[in-house]
Amino acid sequence: MARTVLIVDDHAAFRARARRALELDGYEVVGEAADGAGGIAEAARLHPSVVLLDVGLPDASGFDVAARIAGAGTDVVLTSTREYDALEAGSAAAGFVPKAELSGAALDAALAER
Amino acid sequence: MTEMQTSKTDDDMLALLAETGRLRGVLAAALDCVVAMDASGTVVAWNPAAERTFGWSAAEATGRDMADLIVPTALRERHRAGLARYVSGGAPVLLDRRIEITAAHRDGHELPVELTITAIEGEHGDRPLFLGYVRDISDRLAAEEELRASRVRIVTAADDARRRIERDLHDGAQQHLVGLALTLRLVRGKLESDPVLAAELLDEAVEDLATATAELRELARGIHPAVLTEGGLEPALTGLSGRVAVPVTIERVPRERLAAAVEATAYFIVAEALTNVTRYAHAGRAYVDVHRDGGCLHVGVRDDGRGGADPATGSGLRGLADRVAALGGRFTVTSPPGEGTTLRAELPCAS
Repeated sequence: MARTVLIVDDHAAFRARARRALELDGYEVVGEAADGAGGIAEAARLHPSVVLLDVGLPDASGFDVAARIAGAGTDVVLTSTREYDALEAGSAAAGFVPKAELSGAALDAALAER
Repeated sequence: MTEMQTSKTDDDMLALLAETGRLRGVLAAALDCVVAMDASGTVVAWNPAAERTFGWSAAEATGRDMADLIVPTALRERHRAGLARYVSGGAPVLLDRRIEITAAHRDGHELPVELTITAIEGEHGDRPLFLGYVRDISDRLAAEEELRASRVRIVTAADDARRRIERDLHDGAQQHLVGLALTLRLVRGKLESDPVLAAELLDEAVEDLATATAELRELARGIHPAVLTEGGLEPALTGLSGRVAVPVTIERVPRERLAAAVEATAYFIVAEALTNVTRYAHAGRAYVDVHRDGGCLHVGVRDDGRGGADPATGSGLRGLADRVAALGGRFTVTSPPGEGTTLRAELPCAS
């Protein structure tokens, strides 16, 4: 069964391109959210196996949102164009993927790190 | 001065201070308050500057206790104790050095002053006389405080501007470039298996790239317009006025080049003003007038909109005022309700 993904990012153009890239690589994108509150709600509703979570959300830090979402069958992978990978280590996230390098394989690799 | 050396009593001293014509002239013309008291704390001299600063005339002050006139209630006991200690032979605490202290005006308000006190010892064991030189430093302290505050605002504004640029880059061009990277990655995987999709993706990539380039160009111009650096105010303001949504008449603009800081400040005043006109003024037209007169560049932007702009609110106008002040210029905003808004700046520009 394809792994299910929820994409949480405030940039619609990025969500569209990330969805296409991940779907072409065999993931099933089950939902999108544009902010932290929406991400938390959608994660609770959809129970995705992976949440791709932007660090710089308009209403919250991705690190805080990750702490609320991660666990119970859901892994969080953080993403950003900013260099937040150094901060990912102490967070609830399983890994970090720079936005420009996002692909199904990169997501797999980030999840395998855990 | 020979008379002073032969004086024997406080009354003689009083006579000297109050009646010696030359000395009275000196006291009258002094910008600082010059006040004198005897060893019991009673006022014996009070010059016109002291009248202006403390609100008591010389006639009212003379013969009264100095502490009651200009020492705030909270400091009076210390004043009296210090005086008594010194007169009875104790070491001087405040004499002959500059101190900053709070004084009281007749109407009760307190004012910061700087003060030196010197003791004129009487001959043959006479009790000393104390001369105080007092200067109201409210204006200086207020100016220092405003300078400190404006420096903080300028640094804060610079930090804010950097943060804004970072965010604009992040939300704009960078997102499109990220999208481009994702798309190109897909193209590579689909070149042979799905050339039709690959071609579509390439079209999209070209579009993303064009959008990113346009956003970078716009951002770069907002940071500092290259046309201003290359061509000066005339082409820069002409270009700027063509990009705003409200019709703009440029009445005058100097063709010659000016100091870079003056050109940049004039440009950003006009840019901020036209942004405000577009956003808030409901104006039919804006007028820009920039001209050099003597050693000053005069910058004026006015509109026929609804007025009512308040320079105290909004960081934009505040930032312009700080910027103009940093160049030693003057900045005013006139905006009566219903009568449009006029921004004026005078920027010193030595040729």
